[in-house]
Amino acid sequence: MMNTLKISFAVLKPPTRYLPSSNSVISQKLHSPSSSPSVKPPTISPLGRGKSGGSRVYSTFAARTNFKVNCYSNMAEPNSDLKQGDVTVKDDRIARISSSIRVIPDFPKPGIMFQDITTMLLDPVAFKDTIDLFVERYKEKNISVVAGVEARGFIFGPPIALAIGAKFVPMRKPNKLPGAVISEEYSLEYGTDIMEMHVGAVQAGERTLVIDDLIATGGTLVAAINLLERVGANVVECACVIELPDLKGRDKLGGKPLFVLVN
Amino acid sequence: MSAGENDGFSDRINGIKSTLRVVPDFPKPGILFLDITTLLLDPKAFRDTIDLFVERYKQKNISVVAGIEARGFMFGPAIALAIGAKFVPLRKPKKLPGEVISEKYILEYGTDCLEMHVGAVQPGERALVVDDLVATGGTLCAAMNLLERAGAVVVECACVIEVPDLKGRERLKMHGKPLYVLVESMFDATTS
Repeated sequence: MMNTLKISFAVLKPPTRYLPSSNSVISQKLHSPSSSPSVKPPTISPLGRGKSGGSRVYSTFAARTNFKVNCYSNMAEPNSDLKQGDVTVKDDRIARISSSIRVIPDFPKPGIMFQDITTMLLDPVAFKDTIDLFVERYKEKNISVVAGVEARGFIFGPPIALAIGAKFVPMRKPNKLPGAVISEEYSLEYGTDIMEMHVGAVQAGERTLVIDDLIATGGTLVAAINLLERVGANVVECACVIELPDLKGRDKLGGKPLFVLVN
Repeated sequence: MSAGENDGFSDRINGIKSTLRVVPDFPKPGILFLDITTLLLDPKAFRDTIDLFVERYKQKNISVVAGIEARGFMFGPAIALAIGAKFVPLRKPKKLPGEVISEKYILEYGTDCLEMHVGAVQPGERALVVDDLVATGGTLCAAMNLLERAGAVVVECACVIEVPDLKGRERLKMHGKPLYVLVESMFDATTS
């Protein structure tokens, strides 16, 4: 059952910096804003499928759905690790993030409406806000591992890890990671795939997050959860920018909570 | 030039270097693979890596950071966020969903292809290319070609590691662009 998660700030606080040991140089803040929050989103030129630019179809995620401006979480009751009511999302950050995501019809095959986050990455304010929303949620939660799923999880995971002082662990397709790995097979619509993690990357008992750009069926996230639990880690939550609720991935996570920005 | 030569960054550089791992015989016998995943497991070293790039580029009016799939995605976005630039992923074929431009490049055996979204970059934008490692420079040159075809100006290519024997720096020089790295390796490596 989904609860609306209310998250509030008076002022946007800078994310917690990793505090280095005493003999290192003070380093620049990760998220020093270089543009004011009132900067307009850039004009994103319409793009269509096909190299000859045939029919140019462009729409924003917001325009095509009745998007909601709340964050959704199926977090457990207040006596669990992460309490509700910690923080409140400013509506305009979510609105801007949502409107920066582009829908590409019929990719990778006819009938699929692909949620393209690359247009959000072209809007520095929206991208920064996306990272900030995750960092604000996780920074005081003693998370020591952020696991990101190849490849779009690699875009969001490292900035979150850096800001909360956690390790970043890439979860990869087969034969990409050098050195000893553990592998987990998982189901696709047709057939299976394999996800790998380095042996020794994560220690037993470490509190971890799993990050990806989008959750659909949940199969990929489940594989990542399994890999982490096999080495004894504690998966605290899965976090994605986008959820496709009709595919019910949220219910497939074995009871692990899911946090998303756009639904 | 590389960062280790000058101006007091050496503690951070040495720290970063100490986290890198060499994996022999990957992806095939005889190759010594330079693995940055161990750097990512050290929050201070990872923080320092990003800071060193950010300190170099933050006042340079860079509006685009282009990262090469997939390990360029681990470094590029954090740099882009810190300097207020866009992040543009440069990807293997058929991964980007919208209209793309493609650039073929030569591998040791055969060719590969890098793609960028049409419209991601505007003419005149100042761009960086980021990857974890430069070997022959082939991938970086393909990346620069994509950006230049869209009218951007590539200011520099930035990598964590350089494998000097593979002459990537010379190849970039032929393309007319500088290369900035944090660590030079004495080993042969590959970028797979």
